Amino acid sequence: MQITVVYRGQKKVLEFEKAKVKSGDILKALDLSKDFAFVIKNGEIVSEDEIIRPRDEVRVINAISGGAF
Amino acid sequence: MRKCIKCGEKAQIYLPQHRLSLCKTHYIEWFENRVEKSIKEFQMFSKKEKILVAVSGGKDSLSLWQALVKLGYDADGFYIDLGIGDYSKKSFNISIAFSEKLDRTLHTVSLEDEVMSIPQIKNYDNRPTCSICGTLKRYYMNKVAKHLGYRVVATGHNLDDESAVLFSNTLNWSVDYLKRQYPVLPEENSFIRKVKPLCKISEKESAMYAVLCGIEYIEEECPFSEGATSIDYKTFLSRLEEKSPGIKLRFYSEFLRKMYPILHIGEEKPHLNRCSICGEPTTGEICSVCNLKNKLKLKAGG
Ligand SMILES: [Zn+2]
Ligand SMILES: [Zn+2]
Repeated sequence: MQITVVYRGQKKVLEFEKAKVKSGDILKALDLSKDFAFVIKNGEIVSEDEIIRPRDEVRVINAISGGAF
Repeated sequence: MRKCIKCGEKAQIYLPQHRLSLCKTHYIEWFENRVEKSIKEFQMFSKKEKILVAVSGGKDSLSLWQALVKLGYDADGFYIDLGIGDYSKKSFNISIAFSEKLDRTLHTVSLEDEVMSIPQIKNYDNRPTCSICGTLKRYYMNKVAKHLGYRVVATGHNLDDESAVLFSNTLNWSVDYLKRQYPVLPEENSFIRKVKPLCKISEKESAMYAVLCGIEYIEEECPFSEGATSIDYKTFLSRLEEKSPGIKLRFYSEFLRKMYPILHIGEEKPHLNRCSICGEPTTGEICSVCNLKNKLKLKAGG
């Protein structure tokens, strides 16, 4: 299954083997921890076990930031 | 389906470290209450004082500014244009638009006018960019805030920033830094009071607040922060956090409660002079920014 997500202003197409993709799988595919990243599905923040379908509008936010101490 | 503990509606947010499920409305309320609680806990400022928020266009500074204004504090913004190409242009536009939305003043200073832009300074100074940038930001924030009659400078440092610094300072036993790691630095020796009202708000909590409030912030990172070691510490701590929710908050708040007082037993305050060029506080004769300016003048041949 293919899921298109917007991540840091760019579109990314993610490939999944399984038929049921959860929001947590998307974070894993992007190598992001649920401690600092989250998924917005059709305008709503969702939990890691939310089912994501190809027609959903998905945005991934990574809240971690670098910079000086 | 998780339900909001306040109203029983569908919860959008789950906070494992607080074991809280909240809907959008009650998350926003929880966030603002938590900011206010930190302000009171550490006696940061009152509603009568004029506050200057250091604004970068990122999620933390904009969320902080919005929360302060909504809570009824007298908070204006301060933006330093670092002159880092498109990144600075974009963050400046976002900050200006946000100040208009909030209907509060945004004061700005351009590094290019004051010293040189960060990319130009890079050509003459080989210290890590983040540390030069940090020195300059602190210097102008202090100077401008005093000049404009503000009593307090508030920055958007969050729990993840603070626990990563604490972790690094502890690994290195940087005792002098540990002594100064407190969410309030009082006004003294012509340093203005500095506060961190988001010190108990995680980076993700601050991003979720921004998203839920419809705040448009700059998502990309400063191009010079790439490979910053703070990211390594944050990634490491978040792995611990996933296994034991709340560990970061405990690490930081128990440091403040138990360790910070111990570090200050029998301590003498360092004596500070006024910089002989600009009059800002310094431990030496000339402050670090005037030093940098002199060096740049020499190297740039003028
Ligand atoms: Zn609710
Ligand atoms: Zn000086």
